[in-house]
Amino acid sequence: MNRSIFSTVCAVVLTAAAVFASSFTVADNKVVSDFKLKNVDGKLVSLKDFPDAKGFIIVFTCNHCPFAKLYPPRLNALNDQYKKLGVPVIAISSSDTVLYDEDSYPKMVEKAREEHFNFPYLYDNQQTAVRNFGAQKTPHAFVVWKENGKWVVKYNGAIDDNGADPSKVSHRYVADAVDALLAGKEVAARKTRSIGCQINLRK
Amino acid sequence: MKLKHLIAIVLFSVAGYNSFAQYNNLVIPDTISGTTFNLNLKDTFKQFLPGNQTVTGGINSDFWGPTLLFNKGDTVHMNVHSYMNDSTTVHWHGMHLPAVMDGGPHQIIPPGTVWQPYWLVTNQAATYWYHPHLHQMAEQQMTTGLGGFIIVRDAEEAALALPRTYGVDDIPLALTSRNFDATNAFLCCTRAYGDTGMVNGTLHPQVTLPKQYVRLRILNAEMERGYNLGFSDNRSFYIIANDGGLLNAPVSATRIKLLVGERAEIMVDLGGDAVGSSIDLVAYNAGQEFGFGGGEPSATGNFGSLLNNRNFNVLHINVGATTAGAITSVPATLASNTYLTTADATVSRTVTVTDGTPGPGGLPFQFDHTLYNFDTINKTVVLGTTEKWTVINNNVFGHAFHIHDVEFKIVSRSSHPVGAYEGGWKDVFYLQVNDTVTFVAKFNDYADPIHPFMYHCHFAPHEDGGMMQQFVVVDATGVGNTEKPSGDFNLYPNPAGNKLNISLTDPAMQVYYITITNSQGRTMCMLPRPQLGNGIDISAYAPGVYFLQLTDEKTKQSMIKKFVKE
Ligand SMILES: [Cu+2]
Repeated sequence: MNRSIFSTVCAVVLTAAAVFASSFTVADNKVVSDFKLKNVDGKLVSLKDFPDAKGFIIVFTCNHCPFAKLYPPRLNALNDQYKKLGVPVIAISSSDTVLYDEDSYPKMVEKAREEHFNFPYLYDNQQTAVRNFGAQKTPHAFVVWKENGKWVVKYNGAIDDNGADPSKVSHRYVADAVDALLAGKEVAARKTRSIGCQINLRK
Repeated sequence: MKLKHLIAIVLFSVAGYNSFAQYNNLVIPDTISGTTFNLNLKDTFKQFLPGNQTVTGGINSDFWGPTLLFNKGDTVHMNVHSYMNDSTTVHWHGMHLPAVMDGGPHQIIPPGTVWQPYWLVTNQAATYWYHPHLHQMAEQQMTTGLGGFIIVRDAEEAALALPRTYGVDDIPLALTSRNFDATNAFLCCTRAYGDTGMVNGTLHPQVTLPKQYVRLRILNAEMERGYNLGFSDNRSFYIIANDGGLLNAPVSATRIKLLVGERAEIMVDLGGDAVGSSIDLVAYNAGQEFGFGGGEPSATGNFGSLLNNRNFNVLHINVGATTAGAITSVPATLASNTYLTTADATVSRTVTVTDGTPGPGGLPFQFDHTLYNFDTINKTVVLGTTEKWTVINNNVFGHAFHIHDVEFKIVSRSSHPVGAYEGGWKDVFYLQVNDTVTFVAKFNDYADPIHPFMYHCHFAPHEDGGMMQQFVVVDATGVGNTEKPSGDFNLYPNPAGNKLNISLTDPAMQVYYITITNSQGRTMCMLPRPQLGNGIDISAYAPGVYFLQLTDEKTKQSMIKKFVKE
């Protein structure tokens, strides 16, 4: 018997099982509050600045993390696809800049320019947004949806299921969630595990 | 989840342990040699399984670091640059060096910092290793893959006809196992034993070795599992080295047990095997005595795993063509070690394993009912003393006892007579249940009343849980007790360009430690006992205000001066 095939089968079944299980999880409909954070263009950005938005793709990311470095082209693509449908991308860096010089605001400005970010890249220097959302890793994505004037978390977790190789992505978690919401359906996989570097919270 | 259990049972019962049809080629870590070693610790990722990559910790690589080749008698300079997300430490396991260079829990490297320890290599030729040692984080950081081999070479070893072509007939093998979750991330740290074995970060590894005598440098790099190693046809092999040096003579064996942190160098003869044939290195872990890590019979749970209490393949070896200069025999004698004996010891100490009560509210394993405390010195050793330490375990589980600074000689064991297989220089030993082990060690060369060395259980969950204590080595002549006030120092030029120089007002003053921080409090560098002749290279620093803290060697008092980088 081939053990590696077996473990592969096992992993696939477990993945399916995890998604399957979470689709039956009772939605906690966590409500997040708005923020006001400095963008790389120097202007302050809040969710209320987008009165026409149906929802947002909010991605906690940073400059230094090798896993976060894999995603800028995919974030640009998500914004290209969904901003015009009323679901723009907002990226937030909550990294501890005392620990990470590479995550300092001037380096965020450079990063946004180098990677041609077509979305805001906000500096959460007080780490208030990260605490509000409960983001764990970089990158960690949230799809929030406007319901009765409140921002409700409809998806929480990884952007997709293959960081290094976009051609091997089999679940576009964030895109699938936004597609479902735009179609007026429930999100199938509401929660996955975000993968990347831990966001260190200052005390 | 019921489904998960079902799958686990299917996997457990169907997957034959000695019949992998698909193998991955064994990763042989790159080497670094010379006297300056640049190690970059970083968060990274590696493709272990189909699907998403696994976030890992790498040192100049994506999992597990380069093999450092040291020559005895060289002074080695380490540039340990951490780009990690967390603070860490790097401990040079088995190396005899000053405590301030040791990389134990006190030499904490914050992210973005370079730590530059250096020392004279006095260890004998053998296989050592390096790994993180941050208290309560060791298991997590080692699980990510941080660590690497150190190979020390010396003239005595070089004079012997031994296999030593790295990666050809001299192969380092770091044995461990991991658990992956559904997203292919490593699971840490609730389960002590991994379900998936790996060698040098390779799952289901195979390697082609030449048809001749080959040398395997085996390290148990696990968190808690022991390995009872042998070959699939039960052939004999020769143990030629323990943790800290060559044995006086090779020891023939068909099995060798290695607990966490232990190393052995073995020579196995593939000269009688047909080219194209294969043989497996197997962990014969079924039916071990209670207390052997991974002997617990369950397949699931915090102390279960799919590899527990069973024999499983570690490495598939394909026999390839003989190389030029092949080693065809094992030398009859290897070294002329003069071992310490009980009669050499003038101080005796006892350490007893206590607590380790299971269940909620239970206490973690500890020594003498005393948990690790960062600020407590548990034992004080006088420089130059030979000591006899007796470690007693009448407790509920086995352990791997490790002590820093020294290589020791095991002189007695209550569970069984001290085996020839463990008769050489050691720095870790298997402490069985109902076992009392006595070793003798000499604490030479390095006194430091401030920075302690550690002794601890090398099972990472036990160490992190507090089964660790500290000792200092002090100079009986009273150095360090002086009442002499600290000298002063000046920084020049200020503002500085690429080099910052330090002038000491008292030429007799010595520098114990220098740390430079920027105006935000970020640590830029940590320089234990820096060599200041050429100044400090600050060319990579951004312009701004910095603070240099200098600690006087004699008084251990610290002074801070400000400088500006232009
Ligand atoms: Cu232990």
